[in-house]
Amino acid sequence: MLQDLDNWLDERVGWRTWLRATLGQSVVVGAPWSAALGASVGACFAILVITGVVLMTAYAPSPQSAWASVHYVEYKLAGGWMIRGMHVWASQALLALSAIHVAQGAFAGAYRRPREIAWWLGLLVIGLAVGEAITGGLLPWDQRGWWARVVEGNILGLAPVIGRFTQQMMLGGSELGALGLARAYAVHVIVLPLLIGVILWGRAKLVERHGWTDGGRSATYAELLFRQAGIAALVVLFLSALTLASRGATLDAPADPMSDYPARPEWFLLTMFQLRKFFHGSLEFWGTSLLPAAAGAYLAALPFLDPPALGDGPSVVAARDRRLFVLAPVIVIFGGAVGLGVFAWRKDARDAQYAKQSAKADAHALAAVNLAMNGVPPAGALEMVRHDPELRGHDLFERHCAGCHVLGDLGDPKKATAPTLDGWGTTDWITAMMHDPDAHQFFGEGPYKGEMPSVDVRPKDLPTNKQWKPMLKSDAEKRAVAVFLASQGDEPGDAPRNEDPAKRALAEKIVTERCTGCHMYNGSGDDDGTGNAPELLHYGSVAWTRAQVANPASDSTYRKDALDPEKKKHMPRFDGDLSEADVDLVARWTRSHARALPAPR
Amino acid sequence: MRALVVGGGVVGCGAVAVPTVRFLLAPARGGSDSGRWIRALRLDALAIGEPKRVTLIADHGDAWTLEKAVELGAVWLTRVGGSEVRAWSVTCPHLGCAIDRAATAPGFYCPCHDSSFDPDGRRQTGPSPRDLDALATRIEDGVVFVEFRRFQMGMPAKVTIG
Repeated sequence: MLQDLDNWLDERVGWRTWLRATLGQSVVVGAPWSAALGASVGACFAILVITGVVLMTAYAPSPQSAWASVHYVEYKLAGGWMIRGMHVWASQALLALSAIHVAQGAFAGAYRRPREIAWWLGLLVIGLAVGEAITGGLLPWDQRGWWARVVEGNILGLAPVIGRFTQQMMLGGSELGALGLARAYAVHVIVLPLLIGVILWGRAKLVERHGWTDGGRSATYAELLFRQAGIAALVVLFLSALTLASRGATLDAPADPMSDYPARPEWFLLTMFQLRKFFHGSLEFWGTSLLPAAAGAYLAALPFLDPPALGDGPSVVAARDRRLFVLAPVIVIFGGAVGLGVFAWRKDARDAQYAKQSAKADAHALAAVNLAMNGVPPAGALEMVRHDPELRGHDLFERHCAGCHVLGDLGDPKKATAPTLDGWGTTDWITAMMHDPDAHQFFGEGPYKGEMPSVDVRPKDLPTNKQWKPMLKSDAEKRAVAVFLASQGDEPGDAPRNEDPAKRALAEKIVTERCTGCHMYNGSGDDDGTGNAPELLHYGSVAWTRAQVANPASDSTYRKDALDPEKKKHMPRFDGDLSEADVDLVARWTRSHARALPAPR
Repeated sequence: MRALVVGGGVVGCGAVAVPTVRFLLAPARGGSDSGRWIRALRLDALAIGEPKRVTLIADHGDAWTLEKAVELGAVWLTRVGGSEVRAWSVTCPHLGCAIDRAATAPGFYCPCHDSSFDPDGRRQTGPSPRDLDALATRIEDGVVFVEFRRFQMGMPAKVTIG
C-alpha cells in the first residue's frame, strides 16, 4: 500500500532519483570542531524559525496589544513560556556560537582562497543576527526593549547626513510608536530571517564544496547529514535545559515613555555601551561607530592581508610570521570586545544607584505581570498599569507627596518638612503627636512648628512663676481622646472599635471644650480665631484626606489660612494639577497605607 | 515587440516600486507635536529652588491612534524667583534617556551614560554634547505653562524635531 503510493509519487515527481543523487554526493568534511560549530549555528536558526512561527500565532504587534499578548504567551498559553524561552535562548546561542565560529575560523585560516566568500558570508550572518536580536527585543514592547531601542535609534541618528533619516525609518516617525513596532516586526519575522536563511544555506554549500579549511576529508552527503542531525539534537537538548533552568525568558514592565528607566543594551552590545563612555562630544560617533566598523572591516579584509603561502621553503616560514602579525589585531578585537563588556557589567554590579533603580524597575515589572494575570483591558497594558489604584497611588505619592512627607519607604526622613504618615490617623500616631507635636516626624520641620502645644508637657518657654495645667490630665483621658480622634477617620467596613460609649462621650466633651480653642469640631470652634488648626470632624477619613489633598484651605480640613504664603513650605493644593480621579486615588492610597503602618516612635 | 515588452516591464516595475518606496519612506516626513503650550501646574506648588518633575498632559497621536489627555512628556521645573520658572525637558540631550535628580550632588544626572548637569541644567561631566534642553515657560493666573518641544539628540546644536 505504502509502496504503491511511493511508486505513484515517484513516477510523477522523481524524488527517489533526486534523493539518491543528493545523499550520494561527495562533500568535504572539515575538522570535527568547526563542523560542529557550523552545524549548531544552523540548528539554532532552525529552532528560531520553528519557535518563531509558533510565537507568531499568538503575538499581536501593536503598542496596545504587544505586551499583553507576550504576557499571555508567557503565563497563560500552554507551553508558551517554553517556546518563548527556547526562542530567546536560541537567539543568544546563535550569536555566541557564530562569534566563536568566526574567531575559530580566523585562527584556522578559514578565510584563505578559495574560501573568501564563505568567510564574508559568516561575518554577514553575525551582523544580521544582531539585527534580529535588536528587532526581536522590541517586540514585547516592555521597558527594557523600548528604552534600548530609543537609545539605539538616537545612536543611529548621530551618523552624519543619513543619521536622522535612518533613525526615522527605524522608529517609524520622530518618536518610537506603532509604526516603529510594525516595522521591527516585519523586519524580524520575514526580511532578516529570509536573508539569514539564504546566506546560511549558501555558506553551507560553499563549505561542502571546499571544506572548512585545508585538509578536510571526503565523505558522502548522507554521512554529513547524519553527523549534523546528531549535533542539532545536542543543541536542542542544551537549549531546552537552559530554558528549563532559567524558567524561560523575562518580561519587563510595559513600555512607558514617561518613566525613569536605567536603559541598558543587550549583553552583545555592552561593549559598544562601554566604548561610548570613553568618547564624548564630536568624537562620540567616530569612536563608537567607526571603531567597531573598522574591526569588522579588518576581519573582512583578512583574505587579502594573509593570502596562502605558495610552495614551500623560506616563504612558508615568512608566511607563518606574517600570520602572527596579521592575527594579533584579531586577538585584540575579540579580547577587547569581551573585556569591555565584562567591565561594563561589573561596573553596574557595583553601582548602588543603578542597583536601586533596577530594583525599582524589577518591582514594577513584577507588579505589572501580576496585575495582567486578571486580563489586560483593550486599551493596553500601559493603561492597565496607569489606572491600577495600587501602582498609580504609589506613583502619585512618590511624585507629588514624597518630597515633603514620609510614608514607608517613600520620602527621605532627613529632608521631610511635613509629618511622617506611617500610622497617620491611628491611635498611636495621634497619641505620639499630641504629646510632642513639634517632633521632627510631626510638625517640627514645617510651618506649623510651635502652633500646637503639647497636651501633657509644660512649654519650655513658659516662665516658671506662671501656672500651667496640662490639657489632658490623665492617661485615661489621653487614651480616650486618641481613640475618639482616630475613630473620626473610620469608614464603613473598618474594624469596629468596641469603645465604651461613656468614654467616647467624655472624649467628645473634652475635644469640644478644650481643643476648639484653636481647632474646629463639626463646624464650630477656633474661639481664638487663629485660623491655623484643622477641622477634627472626620479627621483621617477618605473625605477629609481627599479634601486636604485637593485644597488644604478647605473649610473641612486646614481652613482658610493654609495656603498663606507666609507659611513657608505649606502643603500645596493639588486640584487642577491632578485630575479629580487622581486626587481621590492618592487620598485613598495614602490613607490606607498610612493606617497599615506602625506610627513612628 | 521587444521594445514593447521591455517598456511594459519598466512601467510595470515602476508601478509597484514607486508606491512601495513612497509607502516605506512616509515616516520620514514625521508628524509634529512640538511647540504646543501645555499647562504644567500651579505656581504655588513649586518651592523656590527645588526642582520638580512634572508630566505634561495633552492629546497624543501615534499613527492610527489618538489618545485624549495622556501623559505626553515630562519636564523638570525649578522656580527661581517669585514668578520665574525655568523648565528643562527630561529627555537627555545625549541619547534620550530620562534625566533624574543626582543622588549625591545637587543637579541632574542621566542613568544611562552618566552625564551630569548642574541645577541650572549646564552640563558638567559625561558624554552629553550640550546642556539640558531648556523650554520656554509662561505664567498665567498663577499657572505655569510650558512650550513642549522635542529636540534631535546627540549633537551640540539644539534642533527642534517634529
